[in-house]
Amino acid sequence: MTAVESEHDGVRGIEAEAAPTRFARGWHCLGLSERFKDGKPHSIKAFGQKLVVFQSGDGKLNVLDAYCRHMGGDLSQGTVKGDEIACPFHDWRWGGDGRCKQIPYSRRVPLRARTAAWTTLDQDGMLFIWNDPEGNPPPADVTIPRIEGATRDDWTDWVWSEITVDANCREVVDNVVDMAHFFYVHFSFPTFFKNVFEGHVATQYQKGKGREDVRPPAKDGEPKMLGNTSVASYHGPSFMIDDLTYHYDVMDIDSVLINCHYPIDENSFVLQYGVIVQRSDKLQGDAAEQTAAKMAEFIAKGFEQDVQIWKNKTRIDNPLLCEEDGPVYQLRRWYEQFYVDVADVRPEMVERFEYELDTTRPIEAWKREVEDNLARAKAVGGVPSLDGGAA
Amino acid sequence: MTARQDNRLTDGAPMLPVRCLQCGAGVQARKASWQQTSVQWSVEAAGACLERRASAPRGGPNGEAFLACEALRESIRQAALDGMIPVPDN
Repeated sequence: MTAVESEHDGVRGIEAEAAPTRFARGWHCLGLSERFKDGKPHSIKAFGQKLVVFQSGDGKLNVLDAYCRHMGGDLSQGTVKGDEIACPFHDWRWGGDGRCKQIPYSRRVPLRARTAAWTTLDQDGMLFIWNDPEGNPPPADVTIPRIEGATRDDWTDWVWSEITVDANCREVVDNVVDMAHFFYVHFSFPTFFKNVFEGHVATQYQKGKGREDVRPPAKDGEPKMLGNTSVASYHGPSFMIDDLTYHYDVMDIDSVLINCHYPIDENSFVLQYGVIVQRSDKLQGDAAEQTAAKMAEFIAKGFEQDVQIWKNKTRIDNPLLCEEDGPVYQLRRWYEQFYVDVADVRPEMVERFEYELDTTRPIEAWKREVEDNLARAKAVGGVPSLDGGAA
Repeated sequence: MTARQDNRLTDGAPMLPVRCLQCGAGVQARKASWQQTSVQWSVEAAGACLERRASAPRGGPNGEAFLACEALRESIRQAALDGMIPVPDN
């Protein structure tokens, strides 16, 4: 057997390092902020720890390590007292900055009475926390963009859901390059697809047509679905905003879809998705809410199918890709920047990479042009070339 | 969790240098088919791109991201038509 043959006949191994126990640097959304504004402490398992979320008297949302530095009491079982969270064990009072402010039975707070506190951001109805294993504050240019519709009356409120998934969160991020799943999961037929990775943002542009084989043609008088345009960006490791417009013959429906997650530990994460829809003269009152609810239902079905795959599949660091697959390796190279120290972020993790599939220009048109090119070259008696550098 | 090499780049065509006919920025490009194009930019190329410098953010929450340089797209198209970027038959 020749070396070439053995190479082709060999069994392909699946390689996978253990999922990292370090958690990504970046903004993570914990859910709709309203949920945490009931005057009670909330318990959240994230980043391999237990956290307490509470609203202090000044209205601010705070996130601390849930375990009291005194005797280890669970602050998320405690009580909000003024601007502080009081431990249920001995009533020690902790401020949103992580410092112990008061011990009611003691005259003095001991030295080093400070616990882990996360920087929070309450924006557009969602609560975000900044996670950084190196303990640095968020850089000024690493932000979550504002979502205009979230605070406007002519848009619906968020329709929001969450599910716990028993898999490493890299699985959901991989979706950003998965063109084929639009066809199978979202019943959409992409005519244009593009990924751009640059800096801390990973974007997916998509234009698609509705699939007539799964979506029955509109009845007389009903709006006819023509297709959709989607611009979806991960702003950091875990928060994706999808600016999604559905095109109908008589109107466009504008919506914003959130797809975000936070890790519980290296083997599970909480997947969340939210939808808002813009009202218009064609989509008034309850119709907009119904559309948002319908979209959320549709997304839920898609994710249910994904979850079924994720929880049974194996982790794979060396996927065997065909030419029709998206840029999985390049996405993971981008994603790795969030798992190393800032000083160790390499240029190739953040330098711009583009992957484009444009089916709007038929292959026949390309081939015709190549033939014309060859014919032209033949006519002038040379080989086709670009600025003299012959092929 | 170091990202590995794409098997398509080691077993198939590699990324090849292309220069933008407009601004001269040098990028690496590859085509998996007539309809598919990959482009690897460097910081220098992104800094040299005229269209990028002239671009304004589009609307919407993701409007900051720069979609494409048309001059570079045209340059890669030309390189493919001229046989400088191989395009697999399919």
